[in-house]
Amino acid sequence: MTVAATTAPLVRRRVPAAVRRRRFLLAVANHSVLIGFAIAFLAPFVFILLTALMTNNQALSPDLWPHPFRWRNFVDVWTKAPLWRWMLNTLEYSVLGTLGLVVSSVPVAYALARLHWRGRQAMFMVVLVALMLPPQVTVVPLYVMWAKFHPFGFNFIGTLWPVILPNWFGDAFSIFLLRQFFLTIPEEYLDAARVDGCGELRILGTVVVRLAKPAIVAVALFSFLYTFNDFFLPLLYTGEAPHHWVLSIGLSQFRSLHQVQWNLTMAATLLVMVPVVVIFFLAQRAFVEGVTLTGVKG
Amino acid sequence: MSPWLVGFSLFFGYPLVMSAYLSFNHYDLLSAPRWVGLANYRYLFTVDPQVWTAVKNTLWLIAVMVPLQVVFAYGIAMLLARAKSGVGLLRTIFYLPALAPPVAATLGFVFILNPATGPVNTILGHLGIQGPLWFQDPAWSKPSLTLLGLWGVGNTMVIFLAAVLDVPRHLYESAELDGAGPLQRLRWVTLPTTSPVILFAVILGVIQGLQYFTQAYVAAGVASGQASQAGDVTAGTLGYPLDSTLVYPVLLFQHGFTDFQMGYASAMAILLLAVSFAVISIILINSRKWVHYGGAAR
Amino acid sequence: MSRTRAVLALLVLCALGVAAVGATAATAKKSAPTKLTVWVGWSARELSVFKKVAAEYDKAHPNVTVDVVGSINDDKIVAAIRAGNAPDVASSFNSYDVGIYCGTGGWIDLSSKLKSAGIPLGTFPAATNYYTQFGGKKCALPLLADDYGLYYNKDLFKAAGISGPPKTIAQLTTYAKKLTKFNSDGSIKVLGFDPFIGFYENTPERWVTAWGANWLDSSNHSILGKQPGWSNWMKWLKSYVNWVGYNKLVKFQAGLGDEFSASNAFEVGKLAMNYDGEWRVAFIQAEHPKLNYGTAPMPVANPKLYGSGYINGTIIGIPKNGKHEAEAWDLVKYLTTNTHALAELSNGLRNVPSTSASLTSKELTPDAHFATFLKIFGNKYSSTSPITAAGVSYTNAVQNFATKWQAGKVSNLGSGLAKLDSQLDAMVKQAGGGGVP
Repeated sequence: MTVAATTAPLVRRRVPAAVRRRRFLLAVANHSVLIGFAIAFLAPFVFILLTALMTNNQALSPDLWPHPFRWRNFVDVWTKAPLWRWMLNTLEYSVLGTLGLVVSSVPVAYALARLHWRGRQAMFMVVLVALMLPPQVTVVPLYVMWAKFHPFGFNFIGTLWPVILPNWFGDAFSIFLLRQFFLTIPEEYLDAARVDGCGELRILGTVVVRLAKPAIVAVALFSFLYTFNDFFLPLLYTGEAPHHWVLSIGLSQFRSLHQVQWNLTMAATLLVMVPVVVIFFLAQRAFVEGVTLTGVKG
Repeated sequence: MSPWLVGFSLFFGYPLVMSAYLSFNHYDLLSAPRWVGLANYRYLFTVDPQVWTAVKNTLWLIAVMVPLQVVFAYGIAMLLARAKSGVGLLRTIFYLPALAPPVAATLGFVFILNPATGPVNTILGHLGIQGPLWFQDPAWSKPSLTLLGLWGVGNTMVIFLAAVLDVPRHLYESAELDGAGPLQRLRWVTLPTTSPVILFAVILGVIQGLQYFTQAYVAAGVASGQASQAGDVTAGTLGYPLDSTLVYPVLLFQHGFTDFQMGYASAMAILLLAVSFAVISIILINSRKWVHYGGAAR
Repeated sequence: MSRTRAVLALLVLCALGVAAVGATAATAKKSAPTKLTVWVGWSARELSVFKKVAAEYDKAHPNVTVDVVGSINDDKIVAAIRAGNAPDVASSFNSYDVGIYCGTGGWIDLSSKLKSAGIPLGTFPAATNYYTQFGGKKCALPLLADDYGLYYNKDLFKAAGISGPPKTIAQLTTYAKKLTKFNSDGSIKVLGFDPFIGFYENTPERWVTAWGANWLDSSNHSILGKQPGWSNWMKWLKSYVNWVGYNKLVKFQAGLGDEFSASNAFEVGKLAMNYDGEWRVAFIQAEHPKLNYGTAPMPVANPKLYGSGYINGTIIGIPKNGKHEAEAWDLVKYLTTNTHALAELSNGLRNVPSTSASLTSKELTPDAHFATFLKIFGNKYSSTSPITAAGVSYTNAVQNFATKWQAGKVSNLGSGLAKLDSQLDAMVKQAGGGGVP
């Protein structure tokens, strides 16, 4: 869609040579700037990779090129730190969190967008407010709540549940995004289903979900990314419980905790980046569509 | 709807009210809250030597980093929109860093910008330039965080790219017929048409600026190199160097979750709430002057 | 899209698997002996030393199993107590937060237990008694002590023609300048000495002992601005930092290895002299046994103080609401008063044993480097930092001021210190109950 829109004017006019040359030079300049920036954007990845392949001593020197290449670093990282444990904890948070978020946000968004009930506008304002507030505003009482709540002697602090469970009750950003998308679904489709005798829940489960698939996938992807990368909340609740650390916490304490140098730290850094990048390439289209959606619908 | 209402009151409404209540109490989580009236607020406004530093740091990020991110993302999007080949690849390259987990990205940048062993200063040195101390220098630590922020600007860039490509072709053509040059077309066609998306990006940026935590926390801890043997980022290193990265959420974290002065941290949260509302209201009111919703329904 | 769906399905399965494994692991363990969880700060090599002693106790006491968790610091202990997750026994590397542990009741008062066990306070050296109590409560006991001295590289000293360690601050400055070597581009190659606050073990409380400066007056108000010791130390610090060059120093430090790694700057010869704790003896032994070095008391500003130093130490206590208080107390009692246990820990960690009896134990393996620190510990001018309700934030605030000062961000030292005094007083008040004094 991109190329067609930019290059094919409706009417071709004869272009003077001087103008053509100018356009060509402009295009070259345009591309050079882009390529320059692209190199700058890739450089950090390259430097991280090169350092990850250095020896201890070399990582403490200004050398740029590994000599010799120490591929073993990528093996050593796994024995130096419980990366597997962190990875599994991260997945527990991301997957259970995302699942709950989607399941709970879709009906709320539908109710806000399509059902007529008293207080709908007010509720939507509340969602907007929740969307804009930094989480730090409510974090102290929430911590107190989890710290004082011990059903059957189970202590939530020191586990990931205080960060997972709230996702099962909807998330303001996702509700907002989904609502905006649901608004664009033509009423006729829903009416047709209603005429066929479907209840609102059936309609939601079949017609709406099918039509809104791109938005739902986008919401799920964002949630997965957010939870995978989240640092603040897991730090709060599991900071003193290393068995429940997620990757981001483990990584932040990796260097000093395991008394390693930059080479192993950079190797671990790369390993943490890999899962997200893999998911991106598997679902690249859904990603870009989703991001675009936020902007257009927002 | 109703399970959501329950969750919402539990995870949002209740903590908001409790925050206000706790801010008038002395509470250390071990003994019951004790009413102290305005004492926390008096300490906050008249004694705490770090609060104003933290407020200034957060405002710096909102006033400098966020606009730079928006302008930079817009610039890249414009360049990409005009590019004729390799758009897909370039877009992927610019988007990729946005996926990197913040902790990993921060670790990478602190290493790359290490004044003694990092590649950037080494390369600058070969060019005969004495590089700055980056994360080690209070004058450069926030600019370093800004660089990190610009690197991860991919989301905004993708949104802008879609918006720029969406500008109706005929608007450009009629502008061209009126004799408008490239800059005038940008000023009178592209910017006004995409202004709602710009507003969206600005608001999102400000919201993220107000809760900016992870990068500042990790950068300070890693750059200080002063980790305890137990390997934590300890309270003593928050804000390194010289409180220059001590943003408001970091200070709130310190008082709330390392000092466990829950009452005082709640008072800080209430101040954050007030400032957030003020900043976002100002932007929204101001935006009426420059945002054009070309009749499109929102 | 089907690929995405497959990936998602896989992820869901993984996550459920984790949750399930976690659940079974939690319920599976249920057997006779009481499990005592002990949190300590040590990690890696040092942790294994402690675990060995804990294992001995374990073997001799069939009714308990001791589970040792390492790499713990005050932040974690404080958080765990507040959240109700505290272990049966907790130990911290330092006493800064004793004011919080005793003041809030987070660690239980051991006075009555000491009394009924017939352990007089005189069992422990006086300095350690000070930093294990607060507000009339004895909520911790010393488990080995730390003191600080000067490590110097004999090879580098010889090359510079210096015969022995400096004894005064003036000598320290002269020697340090002589030992410093710069590269051709002006950057530092070898630094004589690095007193930069925030670097390795340099903190204000460890430095001011060399100037004999005090913290509090008799009514527990901060008096940093009222004594020449504080400002004299800071002026010396600033002039030395200026001589090296602030930016050069920061850059040099950014390129050094981690303090607790084998790349420690003193161990690899990038620092000719270093201010460090007694434990470094064991680290050098393990990591660089061939290093030709010596140890000495820190140089001082006032000659009569020579031989003294800053004392602090690992403390151990019992967090409240523990389920096995009696068993926990038995273990704490053993670790803190049993001469054999203390001697074994001291031999392995090269920490100062913390009872009067164990200080002279025959079991201690002699070591000339380490003997220096035993002497510093016994010196009557050796001192420690104040215990307040604000915990570690108190000394952190002073450190914060010192780092600003050394960076040249404090224009008037006198008024800056006076302001710091009032801030410290306000901070203690706020921590203890809220409000402005």
